[in-house]
Amino acid sequence: MQTLYLAIVILALLAIIFGAILGFAAIRFKVDGDPIVDQIDNLLPQTQCGQCGHPGCRPYAEAIANGEAINRCPPGGETTIKALADLLDVEAIPLDAEHGTEAIRTIAYIREDECIGCTKCIQACPVDAILGAAKQMHTVIIDECTGCDLCVEPCPVDCIDMIPIDVTPVSWHWQQPEQLIATSRLPHSHGESDHA
Amino acid sequence: MHKIWSFHGGVHPNENKSQSNQLPIVVMPTPKQLVLPLSQHIGKAAKAVVEPGDYVLKGQLIASAQGFVSANIHAPSSGYVSALAERTLPHQSALSGPCIIIDTDGKDQWVELNPTTNPESLSKSELLNLIHAAGITGMGGASFPSAVKLQLKSDIHTLIINAAECEPYITADDRLMREYADQIIVGIQLLQQLLGQPRCLIGIEDNKPEAITALNLALSHNIGQQTAQHTNIEVCVIPTKYPSGGEKQLVEILTGHQVPHGGIPANIGIVCQNVGTAKAIFDAIIKGQPLIKRITTVTGKAAANAGNYQVLIGTQVEDLLAFAKVDLTRTSRLVMGGPMMGFTIQDTQTPLVKGSNCILAAADLELASVADHHACIRCGQCEVACPADLLPQQLFWFAKAEEFEKAQDHNLSDCIECGACAWVCPSQIPLVQYYRYAKGRVKSINSEAHLAELARMRFETREQRLADEKSAKEEKRKIRAVAAAAVQAAKRAANPTAEDPIAAALARVSKQKQEQQTAAAPKSSEEVYKELKTAAAITRTKLKKTSTALANAKAKDHEQEASLQQTVDQLTVKAEAAQAELKAYEAKLGLDPEKEKILLVAVAKTNAAIRKLEKTLATAEDSQALGEDITEAKAAHQIATQALADHQAKPAPAQES
Repeated sequence: MQTLYLAIVILALLAIIFGAILGFAAIRFKVDGDPIVDQIDNLLPQTQCGQCGHPGCRPYAEAIANGEAINRCPPGGETTIKALADLLDVEAIPLDAEHGTEAIRTIAYIREDECIGCTKCIQACPVDAILGAAKQMHTVIIDECTGCDLCVEPCPVDCIDMIPIDVTPVSWHWQQPEQLIATSRLPHSHGESDHA
Repeated sequence: MHKIWSFHGGVHPNENKSQSNQLPIVVMPTPKQLVLPLSQHIGKAAKAVVEPGDYVLKGQLIASAQGFVSANIHAPSSGYVSALAERTLPHQSALSGPCIIIDTDGKDQWVELNPTTNPESLSKSELLNLIHAAGITGMGGASFPSAVKLQLKSDIHTLIINAAECEPYITADDRLMREYADQIIVGIQLLQQLLGQPRCLIGIEDNKPEAITALNLALSHNIGQQTAQHTNIEVCVIPTKYPSGGEKQLVEILTGHQVPHGGIPANIGIVCQNVGTAKAIFDAIIKGQPLIKRITTVTGKAAANAGNYQVLIGTQVEDLLAFAKVDLTRTSRLVMGGPMMGFTIQDTQTPLVKGSNCILAAADLELASVADHHACIRCGQCEVACPADLLPQQLFWFAKAEEFEKAQDHNLSDCIECGACAWVCPSQIPLVQYYRYAKGRVKSINSEAHLAELARMRFETREQRLADEKSAKEEKRKIRAVAAAAVQAAKRAANPTAEDPIAAALARVSKQKQEQQTAAAPKSSEEVYKELKTAAAITRTKLKKTSTALANAKAKDHEQEASLQQTVDQLTVKAEAAQAELKAYEAKLGLDPEKEKILLVAVAKTNAAIRKLEKTLATAEDSQALGEDITEAKAAHQIATQALADHQAKPAPAQES
């Protein structure tokens, strides 16, 4: 009988000790913030367009962390959905067309002759990429523009265009070679690669 | 003899150099038009400093370097700037870019040059400035601005001159060394002077014996003239193997050291310069001429006059091809650069730039076609051939599956795109294109990530700013409220007698009401009389009710009897008082209610009598007697009515008083 009590006492003591260690660790190694939100936020394209129905990428990241669908980001498209699916260990689902379709990246361009200097687009820009002042011509800092489209609607004179980004020799890169296999040869063609 | 090491892998493709290295360099006459891309070097594009219509002299600066990594561009010949326009660039993408177009006038008139007569007296920074001003870039093909490459913080113990020219077909450096060995040696000495007199190793493949001889001759000739300090230049003959001319490979061959991953040769105290760059530096400093010309090989089976040509930068490919008598109908592929690392050009108006060392006009079947490739058989030959010690097969799988992170983990960035793996591949897989694709994607992913980070920062900063503005507004509002309260308190303190505004307002209102009441017309005596009458009647009724209750209580011997009795007494007193008041008022008015009552009764009685008589008259026969009676009754009624009217008319004087 004494052995039994001894075992109970020892187990109880161990439980208390380990409980104390765990409790200490929980305080000492507490992680500030919600790292999963940060990780999700890092995968989002930071366009801040609000097409997902949230006022920016971080709010959407928080919503995803709380269980919202991962397919509501048109600027990110399939790539982002796939990355999110990998991160959250869920199935990749097709983009929700209700929130928009994946389109080529564009940037805003203000037709400066027509700008009346109302500052409405400046207030709409989520990343402060429009420069100007009241009754002065506005212009878009193209390096900062995320192409979110939010400045187009408030413009009272419709002088903002969304134009696709030009490919320059710097931004250009090679495409993946056409994947041919011996049984599905295409007609002979020249100029795909340059190796003797 | 300097010790020679080796590097892993490498291949031995057919050299095909003899087609073009037999004849001396031919100076190509100035073409009619020159096209000078603003970006013909690695780094930022230069900025044009001429306008269309300007007349420029040969060697005049037409575009100046922008930013740290950039290079000047000079007019290769005299003439008029006809346009600043977009033209096809000599780039793998075949995209167009901004170019300065010069219509030459054939005079070839030089701008005033400043040759240096005493180069030994120049300081390092003066040398660097001259190299920068001359717009010199690496002449081996990569076109990295030389002044940037030579502007080093670390100590350099070895200068390597790359004269390997390992790529098949190209012989531009070979001919240059054979014909300008003296100038190259002087250029090397200038480089040594700039770098603090390091030893110099000239790495040259053993397939160029004439060039080796020429260099050694120039060296001995030069040393014969110069002092002993210039003896530390050595020509190192290395075995022919592709790609021994790769910078990192040549460093390993000549020093046995490997350039660290992600680093440059300067990290291990070595600087590598192309032999053509040494010549360009000689021209820039000794002759004072900026970089406006270069030696370009034209070769391939379609070129009748294969050889090396001294061309002006900006010469369009079609002009050079015409001069070299290239049969374009026989040309199946036009390659800029060598067959291993060059790229196909479609537009023959593409200009030659500072890094264009070769134009290969290949006839049918001269270059292997890669249109149909087979599946990878995992033979591993690519791994054996790779000079960068990579695993080309793994990289291929990762690039194909778009697993770019894994590709980076397998050091994709260390790939020099030499094409050795693709050359050995029995399945003819265009491996290099896969690596270029993967590198391009990695680059765009990284730049997108950078932009996203920037956007995130700006978004968060903006949110913070908006929140700050809001809280600042709130804060201001609070401060204003406190200030207003303080002002009020101060006012009150200054004038303590001042009433509370609300109390004052209420007082004003009640006062107004009172005034209105007093201002209202005095009640008429009739109204007062009525009121008094009503009050008396009410009191009487109350008295009656209470008396009844008292009687009931007495009958039932109720305990409330005493209190009821008291109430009755009080009401009796009240009723008597009300009656007395009424009487007094009546007296004042001169009214006699008793008399009035009697009169009213009389009027009523006479009225009733008339009615009765009239009724009887309608039914009775003795109408005459009745008619007399009615007349009498009517008279009586008249009298009574008159009496009442007289009595009621009496209060009038009292009303007036």
